[in-house]
Amino acid sequence: MGISLNLEYGYAGQPNFGQVLFFGLGAVVGATVAADLLPMFAGMAVGNICDVSAELSRQIIALAYPAISVAVWVIALLLAMVAGGIVGVVVSYPALRVKQEWFLSMILLVSGEAFRIIVTNTPQIGCGFNGIAGITTPFYWLSSYFPSGPLQPQVPTGVYSVIIVALALACFVVAQRIGNSPYGRLLKSVRDDKTAAESLGKDVSRVRKQIMVIGSIMAGLAGALYVYYIGIASSDDFIPAVTFSVWVMMILGGYANNRGLLVGAFIITLLDRGSLVSGILLESYLPNPNLIIYGRYMVEAVILLLLLLFRQKGILPETRVKTKAYTLFDFGGVRASSTPARDGERKP
Amino acid sequence: MKDDAILSVENISKTFGGLKAVDSVTFPVRRGSITGLIGMNGSGKSTLFDLISGVLKKDRGGSVMFDGKAIDRLPPHKIFALGLGRTFQTPRLFTGMTVLENTMLAAKGQRGESPLVAPFHSRWEGQELELAKKAHDQMERLEIGGLYGKWSNEISGGQMKLVQLSNGIMGDPKMLLLDEPTAGVAPRLAQDIFQSITDERGKRGTTFFIIEHRLGVLFKHVDTILFMHQGRILAQGSPEEIVKDQTLREAYLGM
Repeated sequence: MGISLNLEYGYAGQPNFGQVLFFGLGAVVGATVAADLLPMFAGMAVGNICDVSAELSRQIIALAYPAISVAVWVIALLLAMVAGGIVGVVVSYPALRVKQEWFLSMILLVSGEAFRIIVTNTPQIGCGFNGIAGITTPFYWLSSYFPSGPLQPQVPTGVYSVIIVALALACFVVAQRIGNSPYGRLLKSVRDDKTAAESLGKDVSRVRKQIMVIGSIMAGLAGALYVYYIGIASSDDFIPAVTFSVWVMMILGGYANNRGLLVGAFIITLLDRGSLVSGILLESYLPNPNLIIYGRYMVEAVILLLLLLFRQKGILPETRVKTKAYTLFDFGGVRASSTPARDGERKP
Repeated sequence: MKDDAILSVENISKTFGGLKAVDSVTFPVRRGSITGLIGMNGSGKSTLFDLISGVLKKDRGGSVMFDGKAIDRLPPHKIFALGLGRTFQTPRLFTGMTVLENTMLAAKGQRGESPLVAPFHSRWEGQELELAKKAHDQMERLEIGGLYGKWSNEISGGQMKLVQLSNGIMGDPKMLLLDEPTAGVAPRLAQDIFQSITDERGKRGTTFFIIEHRLGVLFKHVDTILFMHQGRILAQGSPEEIVKDQTLREAYLGM
C-alpha cells in the first residue's frame, strides 16, 4: 500500500488521501468472493454469507479442502485488484479534471469516507456494520498437519505472513524497476512541472491516469491480503487514519525512494502493532490501556512534526533515476571535471 | 513565400479580461530561418509563444499552421510530437531530477516510458544508451557536460538556460521557440548560445523563433525580426530594415 502511494505521490505527485478507499474495496471484494466461492466450490449452498453458521462452514471448508481455499484466495486477490483498478479509472475521470492537486486529494478523501459509511450502513455490501467474519488464511488447513499445542493455530498465519512479505517484496521490486526507468523519469517530470512536461511532448493526463490505476490495483491487492490475514472485513478498518498512517510511512522513509518507504513502513508497523500488543499486555497494570493503543497516533503526529522541522526529505532522500545513461558519464571518463553531486538536496 | 513557411500564424488573438494581450496577429516564419521576436515587456511576446505551443488557448477565429497542419486546437504534447518545441522565459526544469535526467526526458519516442515496458529493462536499455550518447555529445557542445549529475535546482540561472536549450534540442524538433535564451547569462555565454543555435540550424536545418532583448547578439545571427507592440506585429523585416521603424525606435529602443 505504501509502495503504491509512493508511486502516486512520491514519483508522480498525485496526493491521494483516499488510499483507504481502494484498500477497503479490496478487502470487501476479497472477503465477499471468499464467502461466496468457498461453499460454492465445496458443493454446498451459499446461503446468507453474513450468518454465523456460514462463518463456521467457511472455516470447516478451509480446514478440509486445501486446493479450494488456495484457489479461492487467488481468485479473491485477482478480483480485488480488478475492482481496485476499475474504481481507480472511474475516480480518476472527475478527479484528474481538476487542475489543483489538492482538490483531487479532497475528492479522494471524501470518496474514501463515503465508501466506509456506505459499507457500514448497507447490509448487502460486506454484511454492513458487522462485516464479513471467518475469513481464514488460505493455509488454514496446514494446522491439521501439526500436532496440537499452543503453536498449532499460529502455523497458517505464519506461513501466510511469509507469503505477504514475499508479495510485498515483489511489489517493491516492480516499483524499483519502474522507478529506475524512463517511466520513472516521466512520473517525476509530471510531479515537478506539468506544463513543462507537456511542452516536452509528454501526455500528462494519460500518465496521471495510468499511475492512479496502478496504485489502485496495488492498494486493492493490499486490502484483500489484509482481510485474509486479519480474518474479518469490517468497515471500521477503513478509517482515514489508515491512509494517513501510510502517508507517515512515506514521509518518514523518504519521498520517491522505495527503499526509504520500506524503512518507514517497518517503523510505523512496528509502532502500530507494538502499541497494540503492549497495550493489551499492560492492561491489568494501567487504568486505561487505550492510552497506549491509541497513543500511536500521537507518536505518529510527533514524528511527522519532527520530520517537517528537521528532515524534510525523510530518512532516505530521493535518489537519481538510475539507468544505464549514467554509465556513459560515470565511466566514459570524458571530462575530468565531471563530479556528480550525489548527495544533492531537494528543496521543499 | 507562403509555401516556404514552416509556421504560419493567421489572425489570432488572446484576451485576458479586458486586455488584448495578442491582437489579430498574422505572420509567417520561414523554414530553416532564425527569426527574432522583439518588443516591450508586456507586449504579448510570451503570450504569443504560449498560443503557438498550445499552453494557452487562443480566442475564437484565426489559425496556426505548422508544417502543413492546423495545430491551434492540439494539446501541447501533440504539438511537440509534430516537431514544434519550446523553452520558457523562466527556466522550468524538473527540480527533483538531475541535469542528465532532464535532458534524457526530452527525447522522443522512448520505449521505456510505457508502464508495461518499463519493468523489463532489457527492452529499453539499448535505446537508453543511444539517447545517453546523444545527450552526452550535445551537453558537451553546450559546455554543460560537467553538470550532468547535479540536481537541476543546484545550478545557476545561466546554466539552467543552457540546460533548457539542450532539452529543447534533444527532442529533435523541426522548429524551436526560445523565450529569452540569454537572459541572465554572461555576455560571452550569450554569444556562445547564439553560436550553438546557428550551428544547430546549419547542422540539422532546425528553424528557430527567438524572443530576445539582447539586440546586439540577436541581430548578428537572425535572418528576420518581428517587432511586437501592444499585442500587434508592427514591423517585420531584416535587422537593417526593422531599425528604421519609428515606433520601434521611440518605444523600444528609446532613441
